[in-house]
Amino acid sequence: MTATIERKLPPSRHEFAEVVHRLEAGGAMLPDTPENLMQIIGLYKAYAVPMDFYWRDLLYIAERVFLDPLPAFKYFLPKEYLELENHYAGDNADLRIWRGYATAHKELLEFMEKGELGLKLPKLFHHLWHDRINMEFAEECMRAMLWHRNMGGLLEPYMDSQEYKQNCDRAIQAYFKYNPIMLGLYKLFPEMFYEQCRQATMTSVLGLFWEIMAPVFFEMSDLYDEGKIASVPDAMNFLVNGIFAIAGRPIYHRVNIRGEWFDLVPKSKGFTWLYEAAFPYVEAVFYRTSPFRGTKSYNAQAKQVPDDQNDFHFGVLYADKFPVGSAGIPPTLLHQDMFHFLPPYLVAYYQKHCRGKDDMLIQLAISFQRSMYCVTSAVIQAGRAAFLYPLDDPNPEHLKANRAYFEGQLNRFCRREYGMNEAARLRFIQSQNYR
Amino acid sequence: MANIVEIAVGNGSFETLVTAVKAADLVSALASPGPFTVFAPLDSAFAKLPAGTITTLVQNIPQLTRILTYHVVSGRYKKADLLTKPRLTSLEGSDLYINAREPDIFEVNNATVVIPDIEADNGIIHVIDTVVLMRPHWFDGIMEFGGYKFSGG
Repeated sequence: MTATIERKLPPSRHEFAEVVHRLEAGGAMLPDTPENLMQIIGLYKAYAVPMDFYWRDLLYIAERVFLDPLPAFKYFLPKEYLELENHYAGDNADLRIWRGYATAHKELLEFMEKGELGLKLPKLFHHLWHDRINMEFAEECMRAMLWHRNMGGLLEPYMDSQEYKQNCDRAIQAYFKYNPIMLGLYKLFPEMFYEQCRQATMTSVLGLFWEIMAPVFFEMSDLYDEGKIASVPDAMNFLVNGIFAIAGRPIYHRVNIRGEWFDLVPKSKGFTWLYEAAFPYVEAVFYRTSPFRGTKSYNAQAKQVPDDQNDFHFGVLYADKFPVGSAGIPPTLLHQDMFHFLPPYLVAYYQKHCRGKDDMLIQLAISFQRSMYCVTSAVIQAGRAAFLYPLDDPNPEHLKANRAYFEGQLNRFCRREYGMNEAARLRFIQSQNYR
Repeated sequence: MANIVEIAVGNGSFETLVTAVKAADLVSALASPGPFTVFAPLDSAFAKLPAGTITTLVQNIPQLTRILTYHVVSGRYKKADLLTKPRLTSLEGSDLYINAREPDIFEVNNATVVIPDIEADNGIIHVIDTVVLMRPHWFDGIMEFGGYKFSGG
């Protein structure tokens, strides 16, 4: 296919021309090598297990904890949500993506019981010792999606509409029916309560988004083990087809108050997984997020932080994988979660390189970065397929449009303002020496 | 003359579209006086979508409705009317990108119009070869960043 395109278009003169040609041939930003494939699939598996907790707990927080002013136990997932059937796994699935089962993953349940300590202790002890799934990471992603506006989709304007506020009013009044103090505060500061509702809505959005990604990653891991995903483009094509298949999944938010459901964002609004969850998620979490607090500091006066939020570039694609111990990018707390569920082939691989087990957390974080470049490539290719033209289109004008789209996407990693080009890891991941 | 729905039903090439319009309960709307301009995807256009895409949409009618209404514009627009109109606002609310030039270019987003200007009582049908999907607001920025100039219509 590369040959066909090259006959129709002259070679790209982009500084990442090799990557442009690879994308035009149906590949990813990540080079297609067995070592890359092993790393990204292994990380999908390690990510999917905690993600199976994240989406369940996010829905629990959005639907049940809701506006609890002291949500001390929001990470203590009740059995009902561990047994909640994933809509995209198991026998009763709406569309079966993972051939496995619909309830919480067995490795997750095992870890929740004994933790890293390997001891069956009371839940509260594991929680306080931080020997648990780090929901702080999931909430950080949610906050990035809430905080960054202007990412497209119809949900964002809807959350500012009168209709949404009226839905919130009903839910707030029912939720605090027996709490006159909170009702009084709500009368005085209604906007503060609406903002909390918006946060709960975004929590639901991220939960519904990850409900799909967990089975997608489990299935990819199984297909790799069976030898049915044998290259990076195979992995990416699976993701692209998955993105299309579930693009129309409804995005909504409902709250259960004393057994009664209240819709804040009804399914009937027609909001979809692709437009109202996936695209905003990729933009907020992979590209933007926010400068993390920790051992590394940023100086806004020295223009190390952009004036315009649209120019934020602190996401996983730009992250320096220094383990600062935070939930934000580089999310050490996520790396810690994934560390517990690495497949054996990756543990063996990391032990062979650098300082072996001692810096496994950094090595897996860099593999994770590679795997997210692959997911971003899939989103780029899905966008190309949805909005532009087939890679083998016979019309050169169409191929030119595809090329402009690919180059436009890559140009995001080449901008010199705020040192974005130096922060971007696109050049690093072209080589196996980056680990 | 027949209305838009009757023409689509009478022609054997729009079975998926007709099924989807019925599922979304849009038959009476599209049979109303309008007028509308409909970009009607052929069955072969729906068949190009990856497996599962239609299944998910048919399970979720409001979401299906949104995709279908993206193919409909209020008003009666023949190709000749669109030569100087690079954008049309769909009933879904997002823009459709038109590239119409004489003698033989007529495209909407990434679809090619294979049969233009079918007249109905309540509007115009243009038959297209690809299902079109709403382009997010960042799409123009990315294309321009890649040096692309959109057709002036």
